[in-house]
Amino acid sequence: MKKRLSLFLVLILSIALLTGCGETTQAPTEKATVKFAVQADNTDALTQIIDAFNAENDNYQVETVILTNDSGNMHDLLVNSLSSNSAEYDVISMDVVWAGEFAAAGYLQPLDAMIKDAGWAPTDFNAGSMASGKYKGKNYVLPYFPDLGFLYYRSDIVDQGDAAKLQSGDYTWEDLLTMAEGYAGEGGTKYGHVYQSKQYEGLTCNVNEFTSNWSNIENGLAIMKQFADSAATPKDILVYTEGETHNAFLNGESVFARNWPYMNGMAASGDYTIDESKIGRAPLPNGGTVGGWILGVNTKSERQEAAKAFIQFVAGPEGQKINATVGSYLPGFNALLNDDEVKASNVLLTDPGFQNALKKTIARPVAENYSEVSDTIQINAHAYLSGNGDLTDAVSAIEEALK
Amino acid sequence: MKKIGPFIDLHLGYFIVMPAIIFIMIFSIIPIAESLQYSFFDFQLNSQQKSGLYFTEHYNMGLFNETIEYLEYYLDSEKTVQSSAEIIEKIENLESKLPILQEEMHSLIGTNESIVSLDVAKIDSIREKNLVIMTGLDDIYQFGESSQLQEDIYAVASELETALIPSNFIGLENFKTVVKDERARHSLVVTVIFTAVSVAFEFILGLVLAMIMNKAMRGQGLIRTFSLIPWAIPTSVAALIWAYLFNGSNGIVAVLLEKLGLIADSTDLLLTGSGALSAIIMADVWKTTPYMALLLLAGLQTIPFNLYEASAIDGASKWKQFVSVTLPLLKPSIMVALLFRTLDAFRVFDLIYVLTGGGPGGQTESISIYAYKTMFAQTRFGYGSALVLIMALVVGIISYFYIRFLDVKMTAE
Amino acid sequence: MKKKTKVLGILMMILYLFIVIFPFIWVFLTSMKPESEIWGDAALRLFANEVTFEHYQALFRGNILNALKNSVVISTITTAYVTILSAFCAYAIARLKFRGKKVLLAVVLATSMFPQMIVVGPIYKAFVQLGWTNSYWITLPYSMITLPVSIFILVTHFSKIPISLEESAMIDGASKMKTFLKIILPLALPGIFTSAIITFIGVWNEFLLSLTLNPNDSWHTATVAITYLRGQFQIFWGQVTAATIVVTIPTLIIVLLFQKQIISGLTSGAVKE
Repeated sequence: MKKRLSLFLVLILSIALLTGCGETTQAPTEKATVKFAVQADNTDALTQIIDAFNAENDNYQVETVILTNDSGNMHDLLVNSLSSNSAEYDVISMDVVWAGEFAAAGYLQPLDAMIKDAGWAPTDFNAGSMASGKYKGKNYVLPYFPDLGFLYYRSDIVDQGDAAKLQSGDYTWEDLLTMAEGYAGEGGTKYGHVYQSKQYEGLTCNVNEFTSNWSNIENGLAIMKQFADSAATPKDILVYTEGETHNAFLNGESVFARNWPYMNGMAASGDYTIDESKIGRAPLPNGGTVGGWILGVNTKSERQEAAKAFIQFVAGPEGQKINATVGSYLPGFNALLNDDEVKASNVLLTDPGFQNALKKTIARPVAENYSEVSDTIQINAHAYLSGNGDLTDAVSAIEEALK
Repeated sequence: MKKIGPFIDLHLGYFIVMPAIIFIMIFSIIPIAESLQYSFFDFQLNSQQKSGLYFTEHYNMGLFNETIEYLEYYLDSEKTVQSSAEIIEKIENLESKLPILQEEMHSLIGTNESIVSLDVAKIDSIREKNLVIMTGLDDIYQFGESSQLQEDIYAVASELETALIPSNFIGLENFKTVVKDERARHSLVVTVIFTAVSVAFEFILGLVLAMIMNKAMRGQGLIRTFSLIPWAIPTSVAALIWAYLFNGSNGIVAVLLEKLGLIADSTDLLLTGSGALSAIIMADVWKTTPYMALLLLAGLQTIPFNLYEASAIDGASKWKQFVSVTLPLLKPSIMVALLFRTLDAFRVFDLIYVLTGGGPGGQTESISIYAYKTMFAQTRFGYGSALVLIMALVVGIISYFYIRFLDVKMTAE
Repeated sequence: MKKKTKVLGILMMILYLFIVIFPFIWVFLTSMKPESEIWGDAALRLFANEVTFEHYQALFRGNILNALKNSVVISTITTAYVTILSAFCAYAIARLKFRGKKVLLAVVLATSMFPQMIVVGPIYKAFVQLGWTNSYWITLPYSMITLPVSIFILVTHFSKIPISLEESAMIDGASKMKTFLKIILPLALPGIFTSAIITFIGVWNEFLLSLTLNPNDSWHTATVAITYLRGQFQIFWGQVTAATIVVTIPTLIIVLLFQKQIISGLTSGAVKE
């Protein structure tokens, strides 16, 4: 008897342990709640957008699910969720390079009808963002915030002649290298130029710019190698991401830097040695890569109407204005580029160098197997740049991948 | 009542392994099996034709309906742009056909659900209907100049063909590709080198550490706790920390190693293939030696004191004691430690992913990283599963040799 | 001569410990530097020019305490049930007669040959259907990563315990279950604590399942919470280093508590033939 008792006890104990641990968090709500899967926003813009939307709407309510800012992790998480046909997220924020893949997989709801119903045309939005989400003739996304790569320089070091040349965009990578080597060391700097060259997505963006949108891969990689080998770049430039780039530039270590608009916001915060007054902006020689984030609706969402209403709000003038004025993001709704309030809130929008950069943008390849293409580019370019592979192999592998 | 007790006692084995078996079944074997079946399909998510396991032909009715809707929408817009009455008539002609075709397709497929299995005999009549639309379009655009709208319409119409889903069962095709895949081979070599070198170091250091921990001496608690610190730091965090310490311009470890003359330049650590692999191994040895030591320490605990006493009386030296008493009795623990460390090391992921991302130029890509990138970044789940299966086979063979070589009896016969 | 080797031994030990904890100390020192001193030349300095606790303050304003709580709860539950399950299973394998024992061991081992990434998808799918995402149900799939090693450790342990002890208990009329609970289990305590601590830290360190199954920030575990300490383009190194310290301390306490138990077998000298 006793032995059975103890056996039972153990069994019951383990069952109690197992069942006692589940708690579900679903609270019933009256309004239809839209779940917005989005990366964390370090500014106040996202919260304000959500609050504004929720205040305006009686029928719908939006709740954010903050996903990681590690975009690789976020991508994989979304792939997991969407591929299991989950309706967990209704609206999804995506990096521009994922849209082709997600649209091809059938995870996103086409938005053309909605855009038309709202009285807009696709051309009312940032062209680069829209192009990234157009697949087989249908528009699947609206911009959340566009991004582009451009050149930052130290206006207190670079002389006026050179600055004018840079701002016009009428210069070559060779010119930049010469300048970087010439200015390196001046004004307390250590390096001439810093950019992103680790084996990761940022490398694809930079190779895109060096090779003039893949039109001249061999020369582009060769000049990129000259940069990497030059004394004017850090000796570990090949592990640089955006983080290393802004650390070097904002701490006054480099004369030039290639980065996204966010670095301007960091400089404006005044937390770093280099503030906005010492910064000039210019286009990159062959144009800057388009980046940024876009919004789409999950095909499996059970609240399509509400989801679309929310996307309309965020990508439309209201949401984009909050994003631009509060978060200093570039507006994805084109009309706002001429809005005085928006212009006043973001110094980039009135900067002549940046204006020129906006005119010279280049996109990364749009393909349903983009990650595979980009992975091949990263590995082969990095192997050549780090001296672990030769140029002809890298060029032919990249050309093959781009076909 | 009285008979149940002895019955349970007699078959107690079955009763008490059952809960563990159920867990392993539900949370390991079933999910693993589910994923592994992908490897027999050309299963990739970034294509509507391949994003499912289709043993036979299927039809994507949802996509067809969406395509018709879009054609209507775009043709309407085209009408407002075109000025020629002839072309407008052609557009209206095609538009009038669309609802009829849609109706016919419904009755042909027999349902309005999104993806349904398809009778092969119906393919021809589906293609016929598609052809009606395509010729209608060609007719409209035969003279006009190409416009954005025309491009869009043709792109949309191309989905008519996509709606026909061929079987993506490919048998052993993925495995054949893995065998020929240069990158898979390279990542396997990297994984084997990493595993062999790091497990060897960890075993030797871990054994020494375990022997020290097993001694009664002053400050023992401190030593034990301190030496377990690295293992208590989560791998993904430890990898971040090492990325900071190995950093070529201001990583303290990289700079110290350069000062000590162990590396020519502080950047070599992450930017040469061998440097990066050594850096990864260094971090792994630092991180996992305590785990190895703990496993071996548990084994040392079971060696009775009196055996040492007996051999001491026989006048055996410490070394002799170690070889003749400690090692043989420790054999089962050594096997478990080596086995599980090897299995873990073979699956190394977080550390490399954070530290080098597989760089420089793919030089430190382990098979786990390659498989992960294939599955999650590139959403080629079929090929990724095949990679994982091959990886499991290889490590299975290694485990088999361990068990054979160490010849440990785990069970009472 | 002997004294010299002893001194040498102690020196070696100190050197070893120094190497082992050096990165941890460095992280600790870095966590008190302002963001501007974490990179650049200042990064190589031992102490911060301006010591700051801003990173710790920022950390505690965030989600870290809740994440720590989740980690402790999840690791504790998993450790408890996995240790119980594997103790029974291991005892059966080591001592009892039943068919298919070798197959069972082989299968348990085989499941350890597959990386976690392969089970994440199917388990996530099942969890979504059951509505189990963002809950403590995550403890169940953790059996995949912890059960095999726990079973193997305990099998080696149980089979080391002299069979004569059991036989004498049996002669006294005790059932197998009673023998197990009363005789084997107490003798195997060091092994049980070893496997428990290995399970605990294994779960504590897990990342992929936790990130996928519990994506809402109120359900984050500590490892996941740390990876959230970043912006789109930058890692908040100050907070990451501070978090490393904060997250490691609870595990050190656990280790301190458990390590006494691990050596209990040694001091009590219970295992004797």
